[in-house]
Amino acid sequence: MKHLSIYPVAVVLLLGFFMAAQAHHGWSGNTAGDVEITGEVVEGVSLAGAHGTLQIRDADGRVWDITLAPGPRTHRAGLREDTIPVGAEVTVHGERHEDPEVFEAKVRRVIWEDQVFDVYPPRD
Amino acid sequence: MYELMAWLEASALAEFLRGLGIWTYGIVNLAHILGIGLLFGTVAVLDLRLLGLWQSIPVATIARPTVPLAATGFVLAIVSGIMMLSFNTTEYHGNPFLYIKLPLVGLGLINVAVITRLPAWRRAMAGATGESTDRIVLPIAGAMSLAIWLAVITCGRMIGYW
Repeated sequence: MKHLSIYPVAVVLLLGFFMAAQAHHGWSGNTAGDVEITGEVVEGVSLAGAHGTLQIRDADGRVWDITLAPGPRTHRAGLREDTIPVGAEVTVHGERHEDPEVFEAKVRRVIWEDQVFDVYPPRD
Repeated sequence: MYELMAWLEASALAEFLRGLGIWTYGIVNLAHILGIGLLFGTVAVLDLRLLGLWQSIPVATIARPTVPLAATGFVLAIVSGIMMLSFNTTEYHGNPFLYIKLPLVGLGLINVAVITRLPAWRRAMAGATGESTDRIVLPIAGAMSLAIWLAVITCGRMIGYW
């Protein structure tokens, strides 16, 4: 017991760290490729919680749960909770949920009238 | 489960927190990390001692600072954890990591209750000479505790990646 090595503990901790690094940040589940959705805002931008959120209804009547960047980052991109009124038409660019029955998308860009909000850097 | 989640999300606490501004979640998250740091940092020292490291230091001497700090960290982590969940509780409905984590936290508490009632622990805390079985019982207790809290933290970290 006296010479119990600290290495097994270090190995367990490193393994945990490696698993964490494997799980890519936040976009898990939203991997079904690029999507562009245009619709009417049914629930305005909320910047509370881990990420900003927004709900839009597309032309087919489907309500999409939109995930934005974290609150402060979305805010810094110029998109505030009171920027876009409910009922306005917006277009979002991002990646949709891998399940085609789930209307969720994590977006990089929100366009409203002549304003473009890049909550994440554009991918060119 | 969903009803309980919907209740928390609609609670006065959740409404209050959501109204506090865009940095609130980050600050609550910070409190959660500080709580985890205090809890796991101190628990690791005590558990490794129980596992047989640093035998020149009596268990009671190590327990004196680590146990109250671990308890403080635990309370901080629980309070901030409930707050973090309250922002968008129903979003975590069906999240396997959360469903594994919560019972594990309970198991961690049961483990504490059991360890502190063990005659081996009491002897160690009194500075009394341990019986031969204490050299088996205490390392098992330490290993259990380390494994449970490591699993809790791992599940907790993974919740946001599901």
